Amino acid sequence: MSPLHFSFYSAFTFSCLGLAFHRTHLISALLCLESMMLSMFIPLSMWPLENQTPSFTLVPILMLAFSACEAGAGLATLVASTRTHGSDHLHNLNLLQC
Amino acid sequence: MNPHAKLVFTMSLVMGTSITISSNHWILAWTGLEINTLAIIPLISKSHHPRAIEATIKYFLTQSAASALILFSSLTNAWFTGQWDITQLNHPTSCLVLTTAIAIKLGLVPFHFWFPEVLQGSSMITALLLSTLMKLPPITLLLITSQSLDPSMLTFLAISSALIGGWMGLNQTQTRKILAFSSISHLGWMIVVITYNPNLTFLTFTLYVVMTTTVFLSLNQIKVLKLSTMLISWTKTPTLNASMMLTLLSLAGLPPLTGFMPKWLIIQELTKQEMTPTATIITLLSLLGLFFYLRLAYHSTITLPPNSSNHMKLWRINKTPNTPTAILSALSTSLLPLSPLIITMF
Repeated sequence: MSPLHFSFYSAFTFSCLGLAFHRTHLISALLCLESMMLSMFIPLSMWPLENQTPSFTLVPILMLAFSACEAGAGLATLVASTRTHGSDHLHNLNLLQC
Repeated sequence: MNPHAKLVFTMSLVMGTSITISSNHWILAWTGLEINTLAIIPLISKSHHPRAIEATIKYFLTQSAASALILFSSLTNAWFTGQWDITQLNHPTSCLVLTTAIAIKLGLVPFHFWFPEVLQGSSMITALLLSTLMKLPPITLLLITSQSLDPSMLTFLAISSALIGGWMGLNQTQTRKILAFSSISHLGWMIVVITYNPNLTFLTFTLYVVMTTTVFLSLNQIKVLKLSTMLISWTKTPTLNASMMLTLLSLAGLPPLTGFMPKWLIIQELTKQEMTPTATIITLLSLLGLFFYLRLAYHSTITLPPNSSNHMKLWRINKTPNTPTAILSALSTSLLPLSPLIITMF
């Protein structure tokens, strides 16, 4: 695969692994989620350039809009968790075990 | 909640589901999934209780990761084959990542850990929405792409879902968690036959939605959140408890009731496809679920409970007519004789 494809794959994979292996803070998980979205925004933006289809230029903007909304929702849940649990530490989220 | 906000969230849920199930392009399918996720987050966290916020966080993280993985698989497929059409997903890496992503979205077994906890942290009606409406778009995507997915991986997901759903439901006393594990095992039954006959998956899903909605609405009406409350709930609505027993046995898949139909047709299809060991294993695993459904049914119809009466015997019976529960309860126990008609419809 070309170096370009490899860079996109590895960017997404590392962000995904960062999300899977998050340790203490919720905010690091949200950051990894954002970087997953960013690593998909770049290839999506290159698609209309490479294939000369200007009608496809809406798609990266649409994707960015939805990922921004999702980031906002994630930050709102971060604030809510700080209000109820006192911090955003993920090992405090154990009320629902029983 | 503010009625305007509630309207916006409900309409967004309907719109997101409609967008995903009617789309041909992967970007539009992803958009519908994102709208669904964004719309149900406030509904889960509505009560601002710590458990609800925790459920919201767990739901948000898993569903967003799964949506990103779906977009990644479609992007990979587009880079390799130039196709954005949902039916044209052919590249092996894309198929594997898509199967994983939809397994995360649905709560199939290696990725099921969020599901009981999220259902436990949300209210009964939100739990109903999470179990039925939020499963429709991912099942639709799986149905559309089922021809190119790996059958052995799907069979593994299905059998392990039936196993874990049955086994872990045995130790639960909270009714929402029991329904979460029942949902996981039903999803296992849906996935086991998807590569052979996707119509059966859709039939199983429809009947599962009918039966699960009945149980959730019945439990919501008698406000039963754990088994010990169910022991003394018969005084509120005796008829509802009796019909709930039949609905629970229908969920378990017992023969004269509706829930037997999907299991029967799936076993028949699997034996036609020479998958007899799979059929035997998944049938035996659904016996585990039968035990906890029987326990729920017993708790719902017992009239001399062992726990002492801290509660007064309720004599003011809630007489508001509940039409949806009545209709769905009739459907979920009596549709088996109509199976020839239903099979031709799917």
